[in-house]
Amino acid sequence: MSDPVPFLFTVVLLSLVANIGISLYGVFTRPSLVKKFISLTIFSDTLNSFAIAIGFRRVIGSYPSAAVLSSLPREPGELSAFASAAVDPLPQALVLTAIVIGLAVFMFLAGLIAMYYRHYGTTRMV
Amino acid sequence: MRIREVVIAVSVALVVLLLAYVIEAGGLGPIAPRELRELAASYLVNAYNPWNVTQSALSLEAVTAIVWDYRGLDTFFETSVLFASIVGVSLVFRGYRERLGIGGRGLSEIVKTSTRVLLPLILIAGVSVALHGHLTPGGGFQGGSFIAVLLVLMSIVFSLDFVVERGLTSGRLLALRSVGLIGVLATSVALLAAGLALGVEAYIFQNVAREGSELSMPQWLLDRPTGGTLIFFNMFEALAVAAGLALAFLVLSLREEEVREALGVGEWYE
Repeated sequence: MSDPVPFLFTVVLLSLVANIGISLYGVFTRPSLVKKFISLTIFSDTLNSFAIAIGFRRVIGSYPSAAVLSSLPREPGELSAFASAAVDPLPQALVLTAIVIGLAVFMFLAGLIAMYYRHYGTTRMV
Repeated sequence: MRIREVVIAVSVALVVLLLAYVIEAGGLGPIAPRELRELAASYLVNAYNPWNVTQSALSLEAVTAIVWDYRGLDTFFETSVLFASIVGVSLVFRGYRERLGIGGRGLSEIVKTSTRVLLPLILIAGVSVALHGHLTPGGGFQGGSFIAVLLVLMSIVFSLDFVVERGLTSGRLLALRSVGLIGVLATSVALLAAGLALGVEAYIFQNVAREGSELSMPQWLLDRPTGGTLIFFNMFEALAVAAGLALAFLVLSLREEEVREALGVGEWYE
């Protein structure tokens, strides 16, 4: 057994990929709108986890820190030390935006599905 | 039907396999790189950098600095999308009005008492997550979601009538939502308005002093950094998200009698 970190990373990424496959299968084949909706939320969550994973990094000899300064820096050297150990904050910020917009879309979809059910008495598409 | 399902299953499996090969062959770059991209390093160094204020957001948390300062316009439109979605939900359920005296009266007395203890704690946790968005992980959206849980919990444990009797009707929540969005808008142009009034240069979404403009929002509250505009953005975003999510939940959890009324209005329009 060689270095376990790349192996664990591959396992996590592959399970995310498998999750994408399963959720897309649910979106395409389930006839019920509610199940399509649930699959779509799983799909979006998986993609967001993917983006976060891309922002991750390895720090030799220690663990990567969150992109938050835990105390007020007193000299510029502390900032470069922070930047050499922290993870990439940009994917996190983009995922935050994506989550909010996803929530907006899903909220509207949930309203539409509820109204569809009231009108037709079913959520089946076919 | 059989063949179609087999084709779909095989193609999904192929997608999974191809993506797996792409990752194995290094097509997505090395897994967990050791070095950061230059952009990320620049964000990390400049998020709180009192020695280079014109490029800094003066926020201890880099994610909040990106969300509300470096990419502030982006986030403003994101908040607008959330607002548009809530308007869309209200449109789909047009004609909906809360009615008292129908449906259940909530859960048992034990659950109600323990929830009464829990509610203020949730409120405090939400407000602290929102107001410390520039110091600790969190921010306006996360804090607002915390606070929206209050209404969900109240309407399940105490019944929807309890919520409506306390004045949390959909109209008022929509008004609160609009106040939050207007607050975000006002904060984003506050320094521009001050610059116009004083006759000096300023920018939209300006936080602290920038190149060519000395104007700055207050950077310290007692002995804590406020991150300039970030604390206001987080505050108003928390208000907007809490009211918006609560409104969406209220409208989505409507009951049969109210639906019949809403549907009647829809048919009347047709």
